Amino acid sequence: MNVIFFYIIAAAILGFSILSVTSRKILRAATFLLFVLISTAALYFLLQVHFLAAVQLMVYAGGIAVLIIFSILLTSNVDFTFEKIDWKKQVFSGLLALGGAAITILTLLQFNFNSLVTKQTVTPDIRSFGRAFLSYGDGGFVLPFEVITVLLLAAMVAAIMVAKKSKQ
Amino acid sequence: MSFESLLLMRHELVLLLAIVLLLIAEIGTNDSQKSIISPLAIILFALHTIVGFLPLQEGSLFGGMFNTTNIVATMKNILNLGVLIILLQSWKWLNATENRVKVSEFYIVLFSTLLGMFYMISAGDFLMFYIGLEIATIPLAALAAFNRHENKSAEAGIKLLLSSALSSGILLYGISMIYGTTGSIYFAEISQSFKGFEPIQVMAMIFFFSGMAFKISLVPFHLWTADVYEGAPVSITSYLSVISKGAAAFVFMIILFTVFKLFTPVWQDMMTAIAILTMTIGNLFALRQNNLKRYLAFSSIAQAGFILLGIISGTATGMATVVYFILIYIFSNLSAFGVVSIISAYTGKDSISDLNGMYKTNPKLSLALTLALFSLAGIPPVAGFFGKFFLFTAAAEKDFYILVLIALLNTIVSLYYYLMPVKAMFINKSESPIAYFKTDKISQLGLAISIIGMVVIGFASPVYEKILSFCFGI
Repeated sequence: MNVIFFYIIAAAILGFSILSVTSRKILRAATFLLFVLISTAALYFLLQVHFLAAVQLMVYAGGIAVLIIFSILLTSNVDFTFEKIDWKKQVFSGLLALGGAAITILTLLQFNFNSLVTKQTVTPDIRSFGRAFLSYGDGGFVLPFEVITVLLLAAMVAAIMVAKKSKQ
Repeated sequence: MSFESLLLMRHELVLLLAIVLLLIAEIGTNDSQKSIISPLAIILFALHTIVGFLPLQEGSLFGGMFNTTNIVATMKNILNLGVLIILLQSWKWLNATENRVKVSEFYIVLFSTLLGMFYMISAGDFLMFYIGLEIATIPLAALAAFNRHENKSAEAGIKLLLSSALSSGILLYGISMIYGTTGSIYFAEISQSFKGFEPIQVMAMIFFFSGMAFKISLVPFHLWTADVYEGAPVSITSYLSVISKGAAAFVFMIILFTVFKLFTPVWQDMMTAIAILTMTIGNLFALRQNNLKRYLAFSSIAQAGFILLGIISGTATGMATVVYFILIYIFSNLSAFGVVSIISAYTGKDSISDLNGMYKTNPKLSLALTLALFSLAGIPPVAGFFGKFFLFTAAAEKDFYILVLIALLNTIVSLYYYLMPVKAMFINKSESPIAYFKTDKISQLGLAISIIGMVVIGFASPVYEKILSFCFGI
């Protein structure tokens, strides 16, 4: 049963990603991207990592996709259509992408993932996630957690810098 | 974990303190008081640089996520020196009326990216490495678009952002393969889990290699470099070309030496090809540039190819020569960029043909630029010669003779284009050379530090020996 669901979800992710990249209307592309993100969340639910699935839904599908759609509506002309790419480029880049994908997939298939001994350090529930985020010993994540705040601060200041009007 | 052990993170904590103080200063001052921000930022950063040179213990924190060793501290100090010089050089440009409104943002964002580089160099696992890398990249795109009303600057910002997003994607895919096959993100555990040449792990290494090659702008991942360097303000261009590149080269070397030491033969082969391509293409394209910033961009691509010569050897000597070369490269490239930024801040000119006859009107600046170009080319009295010579020795020790031969041929080609601006300044005649102008004291100081560094370090052998004593090989 799970296997069937997995293939349905995987097909949805692939299909929507291709539609999102090939669509010539920017708002449609953004909407297809939203579907990709939601399908990814479904994949997480299937794997029973509920926390990650919730984060994926809230942050990516709920937050980022909406943000992208908003910024498209605010800045660009929604009716704008990308120009058609000439067929030589299409064929060439298609072949290149297929070749790259073929090499990657073949390499991935060669590895015997079943041989791996999984050492589960954190049981996937919210409480242990919280503890892992705040612990500073082995396997604790407080340092990256704090350093990301610097990234957010810097990105915010940088955004202000770009948006700021110079007085003249 | 005791409280004192946090002092191992001294470089980062002091810099973070400087960022917070600047943020408070920005909030607490009104428009007429903004002129104190620049001196405050430079003084804070100078203090931070001095504190960095105090002796520091080796150790690791947060369960091995943060490591500091003597060589890591040396790398951070080298980057600090470079940033200090850039701050002095950007003074004049930053205090022009049109830029004054964004001064504190400039410093805060610049310092944050440096903080990211520090965490990246000190990282003990791929998570911290990746976060550091992103802090060092994302805000930098905003800095490249500092003059966003100029099309070129906005273009530089968006190109930097898109190309670094692509490269981060490739890098992250490689890291995810490593995590998927070893079950760990810690460098020490990963290098122990590698057992043989598993194809997927070799592929992960190649993806990691490509992602880093974007950051160091090695051929064939260099296409963004010239456009971004040309469009960004000169100070940011020099920051990108010495500090970003230097930090990326440091961490690239550390990870290749520690995590991927099992795959040494693989990455040595790749690196041979890429080093040859990078040096040759960088040099050939530099020959035909007229814009000074594009010219220095291609020159910096070629220099990155030379840096690989030290990394490829995989020995402690190799590591020492790379650190030493980057130290010299920072001084020489910043002298060149310093002169270019002074010329562009005072006259707005930035092409090689504008330099015609400059020796008659501005002899001191011409002399400074000449010395800098001599050092970049590797002509003996200046430090650049020793830097390159040591790199060649490191590669030759491990029998990369063909590579060294090609590097030597490339040095000869590079002599031609490094001497083009010199010829323009001293020999070419011009109806209207750049008129005489008086450089302000702070730009002079910035230029003086880099020139002194460039001349003295070549003769100060204790510097190299000290670096060598900290280094490690595979």
